[in-house]
Amino acid sequence: MNETITKGHFSEEQIDKDLLKNVNWGGKFKLWMGFLTVSLIICLYYYYQQLQNGLGVTGLHDYVSWGIYISNFVFFVATSLIGMLVSSVLGMMKVSWVRPVARIAELVAVAFAMVAGLIIITDMGRPDRLLNVFIHGRVQSPIVWDIAVVVTYVVISALLLYIPMLPDIALCRDKLNNVPKWQQKMYKSLSLGWNSTAKQFRLMNRYTRILLVLIIPIALSIHTVTSWLFAMTLRSGWDSPIFGPYFVSGAFVAGCAAVIIAMFFFRNNYKLKEYITADHFDRMGKLLVLVALVYVYFNINEIIVPGYKANTADAKHVHEMLYGHDSVMFWLVQLGGLVVPFLLILFKPMRKPLPLTIISLVILAGAWFKRVLIVVPTQLAPYYPIQNVPEGWTGYSPTTPEVAITVASFILVLMIITVLAKLFPVVPIWEVKEDMNHKNN
Amino acid sequence: MKNNKGYNLIILFCLCFLAVANVNAQSDWQAPAEENEKLSPFLFDDDMVLEGRVAYENSCTSCHGTPGQDDFTPMSPPPGDPGAEAFQAQSDGSIFYKIKMGRGTMPKFEDAFADDELWNIVAYIRSFNEDYKQELPNMEGVVIPEYAMRLSFDENVDKLVVKIFAEEVPQPEVSVSAYVMGTFGKHLLGKAQTNELGIAYVDVDPTLPGDEEGKINVMVKATKGFARAKLQQDLAMAKPTERHSAIEGRHIWSTDRMAPIWLKITFFVSVFGVWFALLFIVFGLRNIKKAREEA
Repeated sequence: MNETITKGHFSEEQIDKDLLKNVNWGGKFKLWMGFLTVSLIICLYYYYQQLQNGLGVTGLHDYVSWGIYISNFVFFVATSLIGMLVSSVLGMMKVSWVRPVARIAELVAVAFAMVAGLIIITDMGRPDRLLNVFIHGRVQSPIVWDIAVVVTYVVISALLLYIPMLPDIALCRDKLNNVPKWQQKMYKSLSLGWNSTAKQFRLMNRYTRILLVLIIPIALSIHTVTSWLFAMTLRSGWDSPIFGPYFVSGAFVAGCAAVIIAMFFFRNNYKLKEYITADHFDRMGKLLVLVALVYVYFNINEIIVPGYKANTADAKHVHEMLYGHDSVMFWLVQLGGLVVPFLLILFKPMRKPLPLTIISLVILAGAWFKRVLIVVPTQLAPYYPIQNVPEGWTGYSPTTPEVAITVASFILVLMIITVLAKLFPVVPIWEVKEDMNHKNN
Repeated sequence: MKNNKGYNLIILFCLCFLAVANVNAQSDWQAPAEENEKLSPFLFDDDMVLEGRVAYENSCTSCHGTPGQDDFTPMSPPPGDPGAEAFQAQSDGSIFYKIKMGRGTMPKFEDAFADDELWNIVAYIRSFNEDYKQELPNMEGVVIPEYAMRLSFDENVDKLVVKIFAEEVPQPEVSVSAYVMGTFGKHLLGKAQTNELGIAYVDVDPTLPGDEEGKINVMVKATKGFARAKLQQDLAMAKPTERHSAIEGRHIWSTDRMAPIWLKITFFVSVFGVWFALLFIVFGLRNIKKAREEA
């Protein structure tokens, strides 16, 4: 029984009304944006401090020079990958149930990818020298590759959000007469004179298809290259040939969880229960199980292979993870944030919207800490012992400015998603209509 | 409680031992009279001081610090600063003996250094004492022969051939030590004694890496009694080796200009290819606008 598409009880007018309803600037939105803005300003004050005093205000030091900023960057890049999986892989396989949630996935992808680039800048002590990376970058450096793919991915994701939305923007232009003038103007210019002609549809589909094909290698390379930032070094814990697929599979777990949370939020706040159905959650839950299984498989490889051979540095790293200094976080993340949640989702009642969202929140939190576990402990175990340095350098704990700046990145993501979801319908209206017509005929 | 008592006793004993050891070390370490009066057969010159410095920095600095700086490691008994007055008050023979034989925490260097090398260290230590006047042995009636040395390489048996003469007369029973000179010091090739023909043979490993012509810089020292000679020379006795820079040519670890071509092509073709496609789409958006009227 496919109940993911509205059951055909609605007229086209009803659908327009239901799905355009969210495009307004209500009191709730203003309150939420106000809250986000105030929080962002507080966090930005800490970034001002960091700009003024340098990275000394963070907990970073000579040994741990990549702390929660870079962990957060990896997490953001990971989360943004879901756009590719849902809209491209499933979309091209004509998995029709994803169509109402594809735009949400793309929103998540665009927001996280855009902010990921900014996070890198927060990790720089001298952001004014950013241009030097482009001027003096070596083509051999994974950092240069990373910049190239992150920028490309942001652009592709934005285009992939925009181009299939053209008919809906035109609908906004035609139907929404009570929105501010600038907004009407924006719809007018963004809709590119959309008139639903056959040729326009043909062009749109053609460009979308090119993008859908392009985004697969780009998305795979964005996270593979991110993993190479680590794997191309000789450090124990990073020096691993499976880091690319390991990161990509982990990315889908984080992304699925993020999309489920966003789906739940939009479904309840925008009253979209008829369009984003319980069946959608059920299927997203199953998808989450699949990607989590793949990720668990890579996790086992990542630990058992070096752990079995036990060459000195890797053995120490594995030991620290399993029983040592990082073991509490390790087991919380692996069991609490991955294994137990995915075992729970195996049961149908757990794939209902609310329980699935709660589980997704846990998985997303676990995914964030997992990135910290990948980035930080390796740096605390260099091949040369840490000696003759200040005592604090034998460990790492983030400072208030660091945490605040990291929180700021999440606030920015929420702001981007919120504004985009208020400017445009979050469920593709024309696709829902098309599906329904297709079914009715 | 019983255990505690035991521990207390052990600690007390250790403290007593340390105190005694301390006093002993500072006052009681005397070289035997005969050794005490021993004099260096070599005149302490700049060359010896320089060689002594290298040996000192490798083997002594970690405990004794830099002479004259009073920066020795705090130990019990304290190792002391070799530049200090109390240290310099000892005779050459006493310093020589103590380095050679060691005691307690002071290691025995007898096996690490030959006598002439030990004297180098003494010469270095003495170079920190401006008032020092080297006491030379009574040389009356002693004739010190002046050695001439000739080096060659016998490639049939892979041996360095050292011939030692004094006024064209071959010198037997001269101790010869040969070294390969490297960038960061010398490496012992071998030691030998001259035969009745004044010839000493030192084994050479033919796989030693030399320069492009197989030349290697060799230093040979010859000593017998007070007689002493030294010769440094390039000899073609090693394997000809062509040295390559580790990042020669195009290389993943080299500068951007020297990046591997396959990498440059892959990177730029992919980036430009993808952006070309994106620009194609962005410009293509105009076509969507144009297509608003049904044909």
